[in-house]
Amino acid sequence: MNRYKSYNRKNLFIIVVCIILVVFFLIGRLIYLMVFASDEYAERAQDLHERERSIKAERGTIYDRNGTIIATNKPVSTISVIHNQIKDPEGVIKALSNALGLSEEAVRKRVEKYSSIERIKSNVDKETADYIRNLSLDGVMVDEDYKRFYPYSSLASKVLGFTGSDNQGIIGLEVEYDEYLQGVDGTILTLTTAHGIEIEDAAENRIEPIPGNSLYLSLDVNIQTYAEQAATKVMKAKNANNVSLIVMNPQNGEIYALVNVPEFDLNSPYKFTTELSQLYAGVDLTSAEKNTILNNMWRNPCISDTYEPGSTFKIITATAALEEKVVTLNDSFYCPGYKVVEDRRIRCHKTSGHGAETFVDGIKNSCNPVFMELGARVGAEKFYEYFDRLGLTKKTGVDLPGEANSIKHKLENVGAVELATMSFGQSFQITPLQLLAAASAVVNGGTLVTPHFGVEIANAEGTIIKKLKYETEENVISKQTSETMKSLLEAVVAEGTGKRAYLPGFRIGGKTATSEKLPRRSGKYISSFIGFAPANDPQVIAIVLIDEPQGIYYGGTIAAPVIKEVFDNILPYLGIEPVYSEKEIIENDIGTYEIPDLVNMSEEEVKKVLEAYPVGEVYYSGEGDTVVEQFPLPGEVVERNSGLILYLE
Amino acid sequence: MEQGKKTKGRNYYDYSLLFLIIFLVCFGLVMIYSTSSYNAAKYYNDPTKFVRRQGILGVAGIIVMIVVSKIDYRLYIKKMPIIHVRPITLLYIFCLILQTAVLFLGEETGGSQRWIGIGGIKLQPSEITKICVVLFVSYIVQLAPKRLDNFFGFIRVVVFVGPLLALVVKENFSTALIILCIMVAICFVASRKKGYFIVSGIVFVALGALLVFGVSYRSERIDVWRNVETHPKGYQILQGLYAIASGGLFGKGLGQSMQKLGFIPEAHNDMIFSVICEELGMFGAIAVIMLFLLLLWRLFVVAINAPDLYGGLIATGVLTHIAVQVLINVSVVTNSIPSTGIPLPFISYGGTSLLVLLAEMGIVLSVSNQIQHER
Repeated sequence: MNRYKSYNRKNLFIIVVCIILVVFFLIGRLIYLMVFASDEYAERAQDLHERERSIKAERGTIYDRNGTIIATNKPVSTISVIHNQIKDPEGVIKALSNALGLSEEAVRKRVEKYSSIERIKSNVDKETADYIRNLSLDGVMVDEDYKRFYPYSSLASKVLGFTGSDNQGIIGLEVEYDEYLQGVDGTILTLTTAHGIEIEDAAENRIEPIPGNSLYLSLDVNIQTYAEQAATKVMKAKNANNVSLIVMNPQNGEIYALVNVPEFDLNSPYKFTTELSQLYAGVDLTSAEKNTILNNMWRNPCISDTYEPGSTFKIITATAALEEKVVTLNDSFYCPGYKVVEDRRIRCHKTSGHGAETFVDGIKNSCNPVFMELGARVGAEKFYEYFDRLGLTKKTGVDLPGEANSIKHKLENVGAVELATMSFGQSFQITPLQLLAAASAVVNGGTLVTPHFGVEIANAEGTIIKKLKYETEENVISKQTSETMKSLLEAVVAEGTGKRAYLPGFRIGGKTATSEKLPRRSGKYISSFIGFAPANDPQVIAIVLIDEPQGIYYGGTIAAPVIKEVFDNILPYLGIEPVYSEKEIIENDIGTYEIPDLVNMSEEEVKKVLEAYPVGEVYYSGEGDTVVEQFPLPGEVVERNSGLILYLE
Repeated sequence: MEQGKKTKGRNYYDYSLLFLIIFLVCFGLVMIYSTSSYNAAKYYNDPTKFVRRQGILGVAGIIVMIVVSKIDYRLYIKKMPIIHVRPITLLYIFCLILQTAVLFLGEETGGSQRWIGIGGIKLQPSEITKICVVLFVSYIVQLAPKRLDNFFGFIRVVVFVGPLLALVVKENFSTALIILCIMVAICFVASRKKGYFIVSGIVFVALGALLVFGVSYRSERIDVWRNVETHPKGYQILQGLYAIASGGLFGKGLGQSMQKLGFIPEAHNDMIFSVICEELGMFGAIAVIMLFLLLLWRLFVVAINAPDLYGGLIATGVLTHIAVQVLINVSVVTNSIPSTGIPLPFISYGGTSLLVLLAEMGIVLSVSNQIQHER
């Protein structure tokens, strides 16, 4: 047999050396992969292993000026499925479609989709979520989430707005302040196998969500409620399309209330209001039609729609004329019931004419020829300058989305006829809010304020992190003109067309308007009134617009009482005490009296005694003949004409 | 003869080789449990399914190895008493039959017929063919080693091995490559002239290239290799790379691999090295490679101390076999060459493969057993 010789050994050594060389190459390759390429590949591997589950951040709360919560969150759940973990697809499809009220096809599509996690439905209420959780279906996830909740449901619906399924603002303040209200979602990073199953004991990577900031508004829930009640009442009484009402502080632009009835339910914003569901009952709507109707339902006409202001605009014309000193209070005019401008006969609302009158009478009577004359005296160029000064050529800058701007003739196209119609509020359009802001500047001493809702932003702990600032423009008109205008407008309410807004004990200024809607002679009107109080130092200004009232449509008749009703409620609420003149005390039977002691008297005796007192209704409660108890108690001082309750035995 | 030599000196037995092998087998079992338990639990509801089977065959394999190591390897080339046929010739014919049978009766897995079922045990004939080639080529060469000094002597060897090679290459390119390497290595060691190896080397590379680019699914593998990150079929290799890279310097710790959780298909098979990298890190992976180098070193020591040329060539063949398999496996896993399915010796899952491998090691131990201490 042959021996293994030394050349064999040498040859084998060569082979081993070759092997070792390859080994070195491979070790080099390993070092490259595990040291230099490690970060990149490992990161990609990590992406492959990690499943991200987000933790919803709670959306910020919205408070009114008193700290009352008007938009908050309630816990709801999101139902999702994890494709890989579903063991019984048919069972899951059936159970989920039943519990969530979805069609089987819709659920099937999601269940059968191959993805790491597929959302079936969000905003599922707690009971349904608990029911699904208790079914303990494999592959079905129930995640806690938040849903926006509005405790006052329809209150200020078009102002507040609502949020979508991702808790993002859709309309209103929810959109405007979305960046503050939205929190930062947190995440839970979990490791899963290739089959999407979470690894139980793997360390969870958790990033906590940051809740959204709170928003404090100038809106007052009580004022808004009063305003809504008054607006709803007149809408029903006059069978109007809708009624808009804004209550604002003319000194700083803080809006106390902004009403557009009918309001919709913020907690189910996709449901028609009762008015709309009556209107479309039995009508088959396409989804596009339904969308249009919903969009109109959500629309905020106070800021998004323009109209011809009509006589309320005479405030601006008068201001311009006074400021330009082309008129004095005692200038005399003559109204034959029309005024001829170039070749046109433009009528006054009183066709028989107001006859001879002073400027003060003209404004009290809301006499068109007087204002046409004023407009002509001011001149188109100057007149337009007052549009600018009083903010009528730009948006008010209110903190709501979708604000419209005014529409008017170009200055070079304004002839005598256009100027004449413009001077009593026709042939141009502005938004109600623009008019309110301009009127505020007129009565607050000449400061153009930005109407607004947002006051402060606070973080989730309640610390104020930002005070919201708004532009103001001072001295757009002189203080003197402002003073004159206040007294003129007070006279309109005290003695003129606005007398139905008169409220004993308060000094109220205002101006009425009845604008005929375009096209003319359609018999459709917008009846409006703008009012402020106290007239000497305005703390509150309000405008009401009644769209297409049936029957009597004069602003002075139907719109002015609405503002009166609102002021009657909110002026004492705002701490403005009534100061009665002697005449008012007598006329309105105002005063107090002390309640006599009626206990142990019989009904007849009581009647006799009470004859001497200015008591209102007397209510008897219980059976018997002798008074055992009374309310108010004897000796209490109460308003005249207030009621009395007596308990008999 | 044995007794005659015994008087000269004590018999040698390479215990370090033995324990190295046992250690590798045990390490393999640990890694198989680590890599397969998740899938075994998921698909068979029994996390130890794979490791149990590997363990049983591993123990059987070690017993076989020790038994084989006590059989004098020279018996294989001696004529058997009654039938007057050499066992090596029988093995050669047996392999030819098996390889032919597998082409017709074999079970198909992944596009190639490689498995044959004998009495419930699935067997890869190519595993036995590898041992056969080691023994058979060594036998042919040691008959007349001087013939290998010229090219025709080498051709003679090729002619003998040719039929087996042809049968294997049909379905299993990578095994054919290993067989070829074993054959060439043995001839190389036995030869005194090397010029023609360079020439034939070039020829074989050309031939291999023809096969690689000629057969459709293999040239696709080239595409996959070049574009492993984008090619849809590069998924397995890419997942292996993710595993290796996410191991970093020290690894995630034994059992902590993420990639074995369904990302790498059948992580306990050919891709097991990538999970070793992920769990034990760069140092662990290099340690495993060093273990194999140590094993090769022991085989080298056995080869150069072999009592005769036959024993030396057997050790050479086995050394080549282990080395080529380790190198190709690691290369594939690190995407250094186009992917081809070669298991990591002793560690990858595969019971019969382990059994045959251990028997092969038994033969080397048998060679070591015949080494005489001169002093």
